[in-house]
Amino acid sequence: MTAIGAAAAEDALPAAGPAAWRRAIRDWLEANLPPAWRADAIAPAEPGLEELKAWEARMYRAGLAGVAWPKAYGGHGLTLREHLIVSQEIGRMPMPESVNSIGKELAGPILLAIGTEEQKKRFIPAILEMREIWCQGFSEPEAGSDLAGLRTRATHDGKVWRINGRKIWTSGGFRAQRCLLLARTGTLEDRHRGLALFVLRMDAPGVTVQRIRQIDGEAEFAEVFLDDVPVEEADALGSPDEGWQAAVRVLEIERATNRMYRAWRLENELRHLVAACRADPNLAPLLADPAYAQRLAQFRIEIEVLKRYVEGVVEDLAAGGAIGGRGSLIKLHWSEAHQRFAALALELLGQAALPPAPEVRAAQRRFRRIYLRARAETIYAGTSQIQLGIIADRILRLPRAA
Amino acid sequence: MSDTEEIARTARRAAAACAGLDAAGAARRLAADGILGLLAPEETGGLALPLPAAAPVAAADAAELLAFPLVEALLLARLLAPLAPEVAAAVVAGEAVATVAWRGALRLAENGALHGTVGRAAMAREARWLVAALERGGAALVDLRAGPGVAVEEDPSGLDLERPAALVTVGGARAARLIPDGPEWSALRADAQLLRGAEMLGSAERCLEAAIGHLSGRRAFGRPLVANQGLRFALARHKLALENARHALAHALAVAGQDPRGRSIARLVARVTAAEAGLLLCEGAIQLHGGMGFTWDVPLHRHLRRVREAAAQCDPAGARAALAARLDEPAEEEREWAA
Ligand SMILES: Cc1cc2nc3c(=O)[nH]c(=O)nc-3n(C[C@H](O)[C@H](O)[C@H](O)COP(=O)(O)OP(=O)(O)OC[C@H]3O[C@@H](n4cnc5c(N)ncnc54)[C@H](O)[C@@H]3O)c2cc1C
Repeated sequence: MTAIGAAAAEDALPAAGPAAWRRAIRDWLEANLPPAWRADAIAPAEPGLEELKAWEARMYRAGLAGVAWPKAYGGHGLTLREHLIVSQEIGRMPMPESVNSIGKELAGPILLAIGTEEQKKRFIPAILEMREIWCQGFSEPEAGSDLAGLRTRATHDGKVWRINGRKIWTSGGFRAQRCLLLARTGTLEDRHRGLALFVLRMDAPGVTVQRIRQIDGEAEFAEVFLDDVPVEEADALGSPDEGWQAAVRVLEIERATNRMYRAWRLENELRHLVAACRADPNLAPLLADPAYAQRLAQFRIEIEVLKRYVEGVVEDLAAGGAIGGRGSLIKLHWSEAHQRFAALALELLGQAALPPAPEVRAAQRRFRRIYLRARAETIYAGTSQIQLGIIADRILRLPRAA
Repeated sequence: MSDTEEIARTARRAAAACAGLDAAGAARRLAADGILGLLAPEETGGLALPLPAAAPVAAADAAELLAFPLVEALLLARLLAPLAPEVAAAVVAGEAVATVAWRGALRLAENGALHGTVGRAAMAREARWLVAALERGGAALVDLRAGPGVAVEEDPSGLDLERPAALVTVGGARAARLIPDGPEWSALRADAQLLRGAEMLGSAERCLEAAIGHLSGRRAFGRPLVANQGLRFALARHKLALENARHALAHALAVAGQDPRGRSIARLVARVTAAEAGLLLCEGAIQLHGGMGFTWDVPLHRHLRRVREAAAQCDPAGARAALAARLDEPAEEEREWAA
């Protein structure tokens, strides 16, 4: 294994500049990612959970995770600009999705923002080293878009918190060791007030996880039943009334900086589709067909726009600014663009010559999956309707009554 | 005038002060604020700022429905400075109005006489100078007051009310100067598209503000119209289109200097998104105003007219086709990294 390692993270950057850093990351990924794991592989192999954990731990040691997190907690102590460079290279490489993206992209940032020193020391390194996978326990059967209507209750019994209720659509709930849980400490009528964030151990007594099968046949999300689950005082996150603000912050991160590599991954998808079409006698001429050419060009435009948003957020955050409501613009933009593109890819690849060449089959497999999964992209992290509402309320500040 | 905010403020104030003035009057007023020389070199009395400095000015000119060919003046002062310094200086000083025919090309005969008809020349009736493309490449600077060899009439393809487009027919007049077929001439056309983009977004923003104002003030079914989710969502989509285009345009402007021939992917993206946002927001605002939107007195149609012409100049269909032909090509910033 060629590790660019901490040495590369610390020395190569200031010494040789961002171009050398980028080159080092690209080379490391090329050298280390098993070719069969690439989503464009002609003979793909699905890695198992343990393999993925080991892979992600290696990525971390090579300097590709926790890039901008403080060294005190195991991070590499660089800036978001370097995180962006790493993300761009990760996006360019069609590698498996992280099995701990909730830990790295949602739990980590919120822990760093509002966690105690002790919590940061305890949780952050475990995320980076892939010892603890996280899930996000926000949605409930009776509280999805209207998250403030959640009913899962946290009561203090004098010694510990006791959690009772039910969470649903919990991605990766079955493999997680920890859950970032939003629960109610006040009454249902309090709505946004009286909510708190907790770190729940998924192996605690009273936690039952039931996987839910989804439209692509996989069962990545789950229902989580919580029956008098104890949570130590030390695992309450932030102050008991801060829960809603913290949750909103988590959602802003989820919409704006989560999977920062997305634009570059979408570009990889577009290139893959075009390459597959070029390799097929039926599809190659369709690339020049004005109707298809326009739609492909449209996606290229949308990718470029997404890059501009992401770069803007990174620059603003680096300058000490906040994400705010603009995550809703970004999320609405990419999710709808990606759905249109996925449908276009299916439509094109369905017209391939028979029998399809191996590279065309590989693309068909990849885009069938992308198409089905993209249906969720306008639902999770706030549906498109919710994003439109946020833009109307928080960005345009439209009045409701006068 | 140094930072963008200050340029924008000055431009808004100056553009508003031009209300009711003819082109010559507007030229003097804008020159007094130093606006016309923003891009021109210092020798001609300009500030020699890079292209992005002109964007807030173009946006302000659109928002105020300025009756002056401002984008033309800014870019011609830059183009003509080395070739016809006295003309460039007169433009910067607000002493001469100059415009460009954005459609068609003139024929240059052996004897140096120009022939043919060019179109979409904003305010050519009020202008002294015209720059028009030549069929053989490059362009010609034509004195519109030269005499019988030049005729200016309405361009019936135009819609803009404040800056009426003209057809210019040249029958034997000679060029005051020939402009070589080089990067400077390409840059004028490519940069004009980006500044048109800025104008479209200036109009679009105005129209969005107007729509929000109207829907917030008007009541129906016992509540403000804007309380209806369908309308809120429509406005939110307008905002998204505007922000998308803004991000694309800002980037294209920022990298414009590295791409003098105007072939960057960034420019293509900016042209398409600005034209789409401009049209969506202006047409959308008319719809959201109901019958009021269809009236002459509400200026939404004025914005729409300008945006339609600007969109035509940005040629979103052509830009999209160019992008489609370059799908495999990495974006500029990536090429830079690879280097
Ligand atoms: C693949 C996937 C993974 C997920 N992972 C997680 C996870 O890890 N953790 C977690 O907590 N949650 C997760 N979710 C849940 C997700 O956040 C919710 O599904 C989402 O917020 C919508 O809530 P809901 O399903 O209850 O739909 P509802 O809120 O019931 O919405 C139903 C429909 O009504 C529309 N609607 C609702 N309210 C309004 C309104 N005010 N105006 C207009 N339209 C409205 C919605 O847009 C939607 O179209 C996941 C969801 C999916 C699909």
